[in-house]
Amino acid sequence: MSLPLHLRSYREKSKDELTRDYFNVPVQSSLPSPSDPPSVVKLRERPYKNGQEELQSMDINAVISVEGKEEVYAGRLSLLPPFLCFISLDRKSCRCTIPLYTIRRVERLNSRAGVFALSLATWHGMRIILQLTSLLPTAEHFAILLRDALKSQLSAMKQLKPFLPSLYSEYLLSSPVSTAAGQQQTDHLLLGTELNEKAGNVGTEAESDLRGPGGEGKGIYQRGLGEQFGFPGDARKMRERSKMKLWREYFMIHGRNLTLLRYPPFQRLLQVGLPSRLRGELWEVMSGSVYLRFANPETYGLLLSQNAGKSSQSTDEIEKDLNRSLPEYKAYQSEEGLARLRRVLVAYSFRNPELGYCQALNIVVAGLLIYMSEEQAFWLLEVLCDRILPGYYSPSMEGTLLDQRVFESLVHRCLPMIQEHFVSVDVQISVASLPWFLSLYINSMPLIFAFRIVDCVLAMGVKVLFQIGLAVLKINGEALIEVTDDGMFINLMRSYFATIGDSAHPDHPDPRVRAITNFQELLVVAFREFNVITDETITAERKRLRAIISDEIEKFSKRAAVRNLKNVGKFSKDQIGIIYDHYFSAICSPEAGPSTYPGSSPLPGDQFDQPRIQVDAQGRVETRIDHRTFRVFLSQIATWAREETVTTNAFIQRTDRRVADHELIDRLFFAWDSQNQGTLSLQDVVLGLNRVMTAGLMESIEWFFELHDKDKDGFLTKDEVIQLSESLLFIFRNEPGDIYLAAVSKFILNAYEFGDATAPEGSVDEKIPIHGDKETASGARERSDSSAGPHNLPYLNLATFRMVVLADELLENFFANDLTASFQLEQTGDEDYHQAHQRPEGLLGGLMNLVVTNENKNRLNRLADGFGAALGKHAEWRKPALTKTVEPSTSSGDLKARESLLTPAQQAGQFQRPTPPRQRSSSAVSQASTKTVESTTTIGTPDEKRSLADVEARYREESQMVKAAQEAVMHRPNFAIDAIGDSDDDGEGEGDDVMDEVEAFLKAHGDDDEGLKGEQKKVAEDLLKAEPMGKGKKKDSSSTSTGDLVDL
Amino acid sequence: MAEETPVKAVQVKLVLLGEAAVGKSSLVLRFCQGDFNENTSPTIGAAFLTQKCRLENRIVKFEIWDTAGQERFHSLAPMYYRNAQAAVVVYDITKAASLEKAKAWVKELQRQANANIVIALVGNKLDLVSESSTSPAPPASEEAPAEEEEEEEEGSSEEPSATPTPNETESDDARQVSTAEAEAYAKESGLLFFEASAKTGHNVGEIFTEIAKTIPFDTIVPKSTTNTSGSRRSGNNNDNGSNNNVNLGEGQQAKKGGCC
Repeated sequence: MSLPLHLRSYREKSKDELTRDYFNVPVQSSLPSPSDPPSVVKLRERPYKNGQEELQSMDINAVISVEGKEEVYAGRLSLLPPFLCFISLDRKSCRCTIPLYTIRRVERLNSRAGVFALSLATWHGMRIILQLTSLLPTAEHFAILLRDALKSQLSAMKQLKPFLPSLYSEYLLSSPVSTAAGQQQTDHLLLGTELNEKAGNVGTEAESDLRGPGGEGKGIYQRGLGEQFGFPGDARKMRERSKMKLWREYFMIHGRNLTLLRYPPFQRLLQVGLPSRLRGELWEVMSGSVYLRFANPETYGLLLSQNAGKSSQSTDEIEKDLNRSLPEYKAYQSEEGLARLRRVLVAYSFRNPELGYCQALNIVVAGLLIYMSEEQAFWLLEVLCDRILPGYYSPSMEGTLLDQRVFESLVHRCLPMIQEHFVSVDVQISVASLPWFLSLYINSMPLIFAFRIVDCVLAMGVKVLFQIGLAVLKINGEALIEVTDDGMFINLMRSYFATIGDSAHPDHPDPRVRAITNFQELLVVAFREFNVITDETITAERKRLRAIISDEIEKFSKRAAVRNLKNVGKFSKDQIGIIYDHYFSAICSPEAGPSTYPGSSPLPGDQFDQPRIQVDAQGRVETRIDHRTFRVFLSQIATWAREETVTTNAFIQRTDRRVADHELIDRLFFAWDSQNQGTLSLQDVVLGLNRVMTAGLMESIEWFFELHDKDKDGFLTKDEVIQLSESLLFIFRNEPGDIYLAAVSKFILNAYEFGDATAPEGSVDEKIPIHGDKETASGARERSDSSAGPHNLPYLNLATFRMVVLADELLENFFANDLTASFQLEQTGDEDYHQAHQRPEGLLGGLMNLVVTNENKNRLNRLADGFGAALGKHAEWRKPALTKTVEPSTSSGDLKARESLLTPAQQAGQFQRPTPPRQRSSSAVSQASTKTVESTTTIGTPDEKRSLADVEARYREESQMVKAAQEAVMHRPNFAIDAIGDSDDDGEGEGDDVMDEVEAFLKAHGDDDEGLKGEQKKVAEDLLKAEPMGKGKKKDSSSTSTGDLVDL
Repeated sequence: MAEETPVKAVQVKLVLLGEAAVGKSSLVLRFCQGDFNENTSPTIGAAFLTQKCRLENRIVKFEIWDTAGQERFHSLAPMYYRNAQAAVVVYDITKAASLEKAKAWVKELQRQANANIVIALVGNKLDLVSESSTSPAPPASEEAPAEEEEEEEEGSSEEPSATPTPNETESDDARQVSTAEAEAYAKESGLLFFEASAKTGHNVGEIFTEIAKTIPFDTIVPKSTTNTSGSRRSGNNNDNGSNNNVNLGEGQQAKKGGCC
């Protein structure tokens, strides 16, 4: 059983990351620097490198225009090194992401006073004019950052030349335009050819012209299986040639591949379906995966070569699914196609071992490979898994579950009738919609249509999946209201998708209306009626529902883990649940160490990077804990395995818990490791606890004895006797009074006495002198150390040990009651962890989060301590593990007085004994270990019950105070600043604001599609003609020196 | 749906569960062949298939959810087994671990699914260990050669000849779960029990026959809220008590329904 550990380490994305996501730009740290060795296995957190500073990002208002185009757009320019991105104010007309390594030259233009404008010359000869419309100093600062970022990309520029030929658009634009006559000829030739709509039935020869230039053996661009086995769909019906012509024209003006600008025609060309030959390239450009392919040229090959011949659970699973991946497409009936599919999936499973392989990826990749090369598909797969569909394919599939919930909530919001009906007949929408999302509709509708949806998803993001899903439901609304069970629902959806290419209005008199297919109608409904579903909607909904989903997943895996235990001992179901909670929270606790890679460079191909996950003999993944984690776990259960410091000051009383560290804990760990794996499974832990928690006097003595009998020969050696007594002292370290100490030293003496009498022949070759009762523990230790006798021979057997223990009333009581009772199963309070820890949203919430951090809490505590100390009311003491008496200790002088009693380990200062000495008769000993102690007369805590109640009451008080403070902050009147600038607040409201702003802007500046008009347009036009600033001027301002970057 | 059922049709929602690669899909395909359509999607979450069986006085329409076996899809399973009247939990008799997984599924179903769900435990891939301890394949196996292609999930492409008992010792080795062990477990947990072969078709029909016989149709309560359009359901209530003598038109009756 593998547990969903990663859910607790989830964090919301930062604003910078969200912006980068929006522009499909990878985070800077994920891009290798030229000096790095090629990265093979994915690193979740790249270690900080010395000397290499992150380049700074910056946003600025700007107006963009391009040579050869009328339109001028105002918007936001973002420098996200090594990329320059722009989005127009309406967030749809104009958008671009330009890698800085494709910019040959930047010049500051000599223009009217007060206008700061830069001219960018791109690799493809395009000239982009950017007017920075912010204040001059801001603009200059931006220019400086841009210059620095450009400089850092000079080396990357050299790789551009060899890289570009891998892109089809380069081939397309270098091939001559075919003559009209030639086209007609091919048209004629093809008239009689029967072309089947079905996937893969198209003749490849005829295609080369119908689908634009190219084909097998032509050019060296990277290509998909479609070039060889035929692209799905009828090239003529899909008007591939005219689409290609339009794209070619578009590329001439708006740049291509890496320098592609999205202007309004782009959206239109996109929505009619991308031409097959160009599709793969546009997919990687639109999704941004091309930047990864550019930056990691060797990775894919290395992954394959380094892992050749290796097999894993993932590779086995991949093998099984190969034949079930779009088997209707011709290539996947051939070895060539299957081999490509296998390679990409296997390579990715080694790239991202945590994810490995998830069913449905086979379908997705099979789809991608029709249009893309293996390497292209590989990188797009990475972008899909990381960014576009985060968590969809992970081992707990939390992204999938989350988005299904988000989808349901959107259905509830947009199509309440359908939602209500489905609730009333108890049908879950997910039974149908799950595969839509998981396979990007590739598996749900005929390929040619599914790929058009993929086009839109990659261009516009995941919201498209939701929009299409909602549109499907809306269009079928009437029939859906009649559905009574999942079977009907599934069949209805199936028959709709099967007829999606048919006319939406077959009986309409107007032939043009008749020509509208169901699919076209679907797109119209999706993008027109559901354009209210924006990226922000999705982000906000995900944020709202994530905690619920995470808790559900954790509960589910808890149920499964508990159920899968083969032996639960004498524990009740609830107790097992508590053990599980501790086990799980220990793994997730920061004290257990990092859950990511132990080192910065994991071995490539290591199936499981996490030390806590192992694969069992059947190849199944299992979560196990190492001894560090075990210490955390045990500290939550055994009272003696933690250090609890109770602090009182003038204001509050609090208890700080720390994990204790002692050999005894490690001994338990190894004793419970039934399979000698160096790690413990949940089952091991349950059985281990079962033994110690159900033990009576004799059983306790026995397991404690065994714990210290390293070679399991039934005898403790002399050394082991000492170790055992050290263990006892460790457990007793915080007990008040001397009695425990005395008991242990008496134990040692007795052990040696009895031991010498009963030890096997030969093990006692030198008589150990026994002194009297005054002998101290440390004395005994010293003596045994100094004695020449071997300490590793069998010496003390169980029977003798038992005798020694039973000789002492306190020890007897300890083994009879206290030891067993020191293991306590208390609720962790982790029920609905995620919902409980969900951070308040919005700007106010953000403020709260800034204020209420652990660090601040600690600081506050220290502050309170300081005050307390000043007032003379500060006190600190350790909570004892066995007795429940709590008393403050002040007299450190007593410590020294008793030092002679301590073992060397304690003398080293490992354990502080904060208890003041008290005289107590041995008859009081048994009472001491039980609860009632009256003699504790100290300040503040007259009796134990009182003090506990006190602690509790103060806790309650404290939490109420925090609560009140939170509420106070929440209810404070809104400042003006609250209303703006917080993208995480309410998705819709915020969107409205932006829209208002846009509308207001548009009213002032003309209509939207044409971009800017009037004055500003004039300025932009002038700028096109403007000369760069002269050499002399360049020295004047540092910003102009960006012009130094000349072409290569 | 009511219009296409001449006699009283009873709808049974059945879910298939089990570890990956134990042959769940193969079993369903074998059972649903008549109805099988080539475009049946590979299992993403779960594949949905239907198959009708004629009984003497009623038609049983199985709505089958063939769930994905991959471990990570486990958390999606409740979506498919909720409201199911029957479940077939499959393991591979040549893989001991798959029975453990099957037991976990049974436990989960007994705790989380419908209270009166009928569960059948099925050991698949009997063809790989075809010793004579079990009865020879029933007549259904005649169709076997044509179905080679569908058995891909069993990953047994290298041994198409395994069916006619190559040699005794080898087949003994292949079996990791003894009939007695699994049967005892089934009995103890109140499950129907079969050993079957999706490849040869042995016992496949019987699984579904026995399930159909065991489902307490009288007590199937129409979904509480189906009143709006639940004409199909209300029809079920009329044929009381007639399920004692039912017999599916096809296939033989299984001998070892170790059920209650």
